[in-house]
Amino acid sequence: MNCNDFNENLPLLMYDELPVEERAACEAHVAACSHCHSLLEESSRLQTLLKGRTSPEPAPDLLVRCRQALDEALDREEMGWGAALREWLPRLGIIRPAGAVAALSLVVLGFGLGWTLRPRAGNLVPGVEKDLSPVSTMGLGDARISGISQVSPDPKTGGVRITLNAERRMTLEGSLDDDNVRKVLVYALKSYDNPGIRVDTLEALRASGNNPSVQPELLYTLRNDPNLGVRLEALKAVRRMNWNPEVRQALLDVVHQPKANQGLRGAVVDELVKHAVKDKDEVALSALEQLAANDPNDYVRLKSLRALVALGADNN
Amino acid sequence: MDGACLELAGKIPADSSPVAGADEPALIRRAQGGDRTAFDVLVRRYDREVLRLALKVVGSPEEATDLYQEAFLKVYRSLSRFRFESAFSTWLYRVVMNVCLDHLRRQKSRNEVQPPESEAGEPEFFHTVADDRPGLNPEQALRAKEIQHRIGRALEGLSPRERLVFELKHYQGMRLRAIGDLCGTSEETAKNCLFRATQKLRFALADLV
Repeated sequence: MNCNDFNENLPLLMYDELPVEERAACEAHVAACSHCHSLLEESSRLQTLLKGRTSPEPAPDLLVRCRQALDEALDREEMGWGAALREWLPRLGIIRPAGAVAALSLVVLGFGLGWTLRPRAGNLVPGVEKDLSPVSTMGLGDARISGISQVSPDPKTGGVRITLNAERRMTLEGSLDDDNVRKVLVYALKSYDNPGIRVDTLEALRASGNNPSVQPELLYTLRNDPNLGVRLEALKAVRRMNWNPEVRQALLDVVHQPKANQGLRGAVVDELVKHAVKDKDEVALSALEQLAANDPNDYVRLKSLRALVALGADNN
Repeated sequence: MDGACLELAGKIPADSSPVAGADEPALIRRAQGGDRTAFDVLVRRYDREVLRLALKVVGSPEEATDLYQEAFLKVYRSLSRFRFESAFSTWLYRVVMNVCLDHLRRQKSRNEVQPPESEAGEPEFFHTVADDRPGLNPEQALRAKEIQHRIGRALEGLSPRERLVFELKHYQGMRLRAIGDLCGTSEETAKNCLFRATQKLRFALADLV
């Protein structure tokens, strides 16, 4: 093996893609060639450097948002004619229909479905002997139909089986002691796009901040919510929590986010000062000292410094 | 090659609902017959990994969300054409790869018209991956940020196919043969892409190693 061969095989060697005999030949060459040896070392350093690249991990709420958006897109897809064509044309043996054939099929399908779904008496499900009820009395009520996934007419009975997704507006009322009510609120907090709803949810959850199933979600919101107003509202809820290491860590995480809003970071500094005094929390105190010494933001640094000076004056 | 794809899929925790417990071919057949619940279960088996991959390829959560949706809509629309000739995971990731490749090509042609820098002077990617770990002091954080910036720029310098092959090899640890299959190309082409990608990265990051 010469240096050119080695150079060509280098990426495969680094990524363990070489057959055993070629690998052995590469290793033998490296042992004898100082140039290729340093090349190998350089590649190894490059690999380490690239491995250190920060990879954005999907935030849990991002996955939730993606699923919701996909769900809605699929609903639209199912309601559209495209889906009907895709479903029926392959059954008719038409894989790549010309435009005219597709248009004709569309018309035929429209008449067919209209005929099938016309109001008439009959059995809802074959074998069930009762009159066809109007949709409003089938339990759908005022529900919104978000998608129809299957319509199966039965020519023998004249009935039809419809598989659909329906959404209904619901109003839940209950105490915050109710686990189900809390679950819905936590879901709204983590998944709902409208920040106004998230703020209202936080207001409702504020009194439950010490509940073990609620507290982590409130702390998560304080750390990560994209909306400043929501984060400030979460801080209000955090203020009412019993002081513990998780609460402290959440506050420290926020105050160490250089890109976070300075007003929010300032409010967190106040909170740390409160606990440094009231709970004699050394960790909070030390964090304030670090902020006063190093924080790149003037407002946060001076606020921390002023608080420390005031604390020193009180102690004296 | 299926092994590699299953390796990706294997990271996903199994859902415990009864439908989720159904075996994959049965789920696929039900989804092909229009069963949305079965399709949802299939999505949930793979979507975490798909989103992670999309996020690695494009960096920004907004764009990753678009890729996620585009990929699964394509899967939904073409599921009836899946003939069980390969593993479902292979077929799915092939769709995802194509969506990612198309996106990178579009991005590349956009970048040829306008500079990749945002108004703040940094590529958008780094707004999403700011290194704000509390443990880093300001100098370390700045240095780490600079390195991230340089790596990001170097990766942007790769062609879409080189970028994808490198991403799958270096960060996902897939075998070249599997990568070739996923990208609809040969193992040899994947090998050449990897070679060119590492050469370009070595050149672009020479002063850092």
